[in-house]
Amino acid sequence: MSAADLSTSAPSTRRAIADALREEASVWLFVVKTLTAFFLAGWIAMRFALPAPGTAMLTTIIVANRQSGMVLAKSFYRAIGTMAGATVAIGIVAAFPQERDPFLLALSLWIGVCAGGATLYRNFKSYAFVLGGYTAAIVAIPVIDNPPGVFDSAWARISEVLLGLLVSGLVNDIIFPSRMRDVLRRAAREQFAQFVGFVRDSTGGVMARDTMEKAHLRFVRAAVTLEDLRSSVIFEDSEARARSSHLRLFNTRFMAASTSFQSLHHLINRLKAAHRDRAADTLIQLYAPIGDALDAPIEAGAAARVLLPRLVQARETMRGSTTTLAATLDDPLDRRDFETGASLLARFVDELHAYVDAAASLQTPRVVMGSTERVRFDRGNDFVGAGLATFRATVTMLVLGAFWIGTAWPLGSSAMLLATVFAGLFATTPNPTRVTWHVMLGYITGMTMAFICEFFVLTRVDGYGLLIAGVAPFLAVGLVLMMTPRFASYGLGWAMGMAYILALKNTQVFDPAHFINDAIAQAAGLGAAAVAFIVIPPAVGSAWLRRRQLARLRSQVALAAEAPLPGLRHRFESINHDLFSQVVAQTEPGSADSRALIAWALAVHETGRALIELRHDMSLRALPTTLRPYLDDALHTLARFYEKPDPASYLLARDAVATAIASIGEHDDVHYLLNHLHLVRMALLDGESVLAAYMPDVPLAREIVNAS
Amino acid sequence: MPREIALGDALVPGLLVLFVLSILLLWLLDGLAGRFGFYRPVWHPPLFRLAVFVCVFGAFALFLL
Repeated sequence: MSAADLSTSAPSTRRAIADALREEASVWLFVVKTLTAFFLAGWIAMRFALPAPGTAMLTTIIVANRQSGMVLAKSFYRAIGTMAGATVAIGIVAAFPQERDPFLLALSLWIGVCAGGATLYRNFKSYAFVLGGYTAAIVAIPVIDNPPGVFDSAWARISEVLLGLLVSGLVNDIIFPSRMRDVLRRAAREQFAQFVGFVRDSTGGVMARDTMEKAHLRFVRAAVTLEDLRSSVIFEDSEARARSSHLRLFNTRFMAASTSFQSLHHLINRLKAAHRDRAADTLIQLYAPIGDALDAPIEAGAAARVLLPRLVQARETMRGSTTTLAATLDDPLDRRDFETGASLLARFVDELHAYVDAAASLQTPRVVMGSTERVRFDRGNDFVGAGLATFRATVTMLVLGAFWIGTAWPLGSSAMLLATVFAGLFATTPNPTRVTWHVMLGYITGMTMAFICEFFVLTRVDGYGLLIAGVAPFLAVGLVLMMTPRFASYGLGWAMGMAYILALKNTQVFDPAHFINDAIAQAAGLGAAAVAFIVIPPAVGSAWLRRRQLARLRSQVALAAEAPLPGLRHRFESINHDLFSQVVAQTEPGSADSRALIAWALAVHETGRALIELRHDMSLRALPTTLRPYLDDALHTLARFYEKPDPASYLLARDAVATAIASIGEHDDVHYLLNHLHLVRMALLDGESVLAAYMPDVPLAREIVNAS
Repeated sequence: MPREIALGDALVPGLLVLFVLSILLLWLLDGLAGRFGFYRPVWHPPLFRLAVFVCVFGAFALFLL
């Protein structure tokens, strides 16, 4: 090997080693932090003489995460869920102190409702519901023979969990915190740079449909990721919390701008496809000033401020050149389509300006109260899926409860508790059967390790320091496994199973027979949860749910056409993005399902936005009574067509839109409505779109060429 | 300082009540500090926050009751 080779290869090897070490270091930092929190919580709980220090210790494992913000967010929702669950448990025990059947029924129903509620929320909010469900079981089941003890049981549970949360929150926040704020900042910057760069680079005009779809998919993902990050970061950083609504505004404006941008490019593509090059080229010419305006270093934050005056300048230039460029077109159809495109472009520039403005003030040191408008980020929820989750959790509980009563199994309560916990915890994961299976294997390994630890190690040691030395090595293996992507659920099961069955307390009981019986009961409970997932398959990821989500997506057009107007634009955008990203996450990239979905999402987006703008403009001024019925009819038939697409309603919608356009032509002063309707019409007649399947076999050749 | 406080006939440790009160106060202070950017010159905000909490809790226990 020559000297030159050596000098180039040595730094890269060193870097590879350094990278590997850094990765390892973050894993071990996680292990050290979690163990610290684990034993500190246990020690305090023992000093306070709480009945089950093991619960506080288990809590630190459940909320353990590499990111401090995630730990705090999960802790917050765990605290809420625990409080709610304990309250309900007291209520249920008070209502049925003597009757075990209605008691189990009420408890099962509550757990089911919580499991259902969990599927309606993303992030850790769903976790609060799960917690509410199983905390009720944890508080109520042990006191089933001793109802007056429920208040003490509830208090013990609450203090143990809160203590665990407090300790792990403090440890994670103070010892080498790993901040998600930086990730959030980077994500926001990347989103801005990517989108604005994309807009700048595509001023050339024509873009393949494929590229557009991919870019759109990326933008949707970026928006949803940012929203998810934001919801966790607000817990770790009070500055981020103060700026939270501004960040939402930034995200909403991003969604609006990306939709308009995409509509614009579809319009240009359609004109190109119909060989109407003059109209398309004139539009591209009109669009050029934006590319020039954005031709500056693109960076979110104060640096973005330089773009603002340039965008205003570009807007002025475009406004000036619209009429001159329109005059160069002699075909009235060309001019009509050009004007439609120009109004779309004007909307896009306004939205881009608002977006850049929001990006520029992302990092101002001081946030003035109430300076930003409140923005809601709506989600698209499926209540039937939630009903299914409710049904599964309730049935699992009832079956286990009946089995417990029928066999008089002394440790039936253990099985029931575990089944509740896991049926709830994994109901929202994409593939719960596999995850539960892995966790179960890990759990059994963890319990085996706990057996060795308890009866061969702990029996020989004395004092808390030696207890730490005895337990830590066994637990550390599980925690390291938690951090490896392949064995994450296995490791989680390991750590939880070990912490749960050890149940460390002040006067530790060493009873192998009870240990083994309890372990069998817990494994049976886990198995029951896994079987429940197989018998009543989760809705998430199934073709059935995907069809429902697609229908929901299409009905967004009806929402755009008929829902009350105030705030509708944000509502439409955010529900759309949520639904879209949900289905995208659950389909294979490039599969037929995923392609159909993307095609529909684009059609829905475009038409929906145009309808909202149309209704907005309609509400500005009183319309002639001879015109209004036609517009309402167009809105109505479009809504029905998207709700239930078939060739007949397609024809109805197409004709209604054509009639509305014609009747606008008969009135004066209403031409401002025309552009939106043209946009809807072009989307309807686009032969490349998903709507092509509903078009009549013999297309009206002249019509399509004219309008597209 | 009373060892226990009766809240609706349920005896609650006095220290716990103070603890919850100081957490609420800390939450308020934290929000204000975040809104006006007071954490910018601080090296380790969580540590600083913990220190503020210890001060608040200690002051409550010493002076309030």
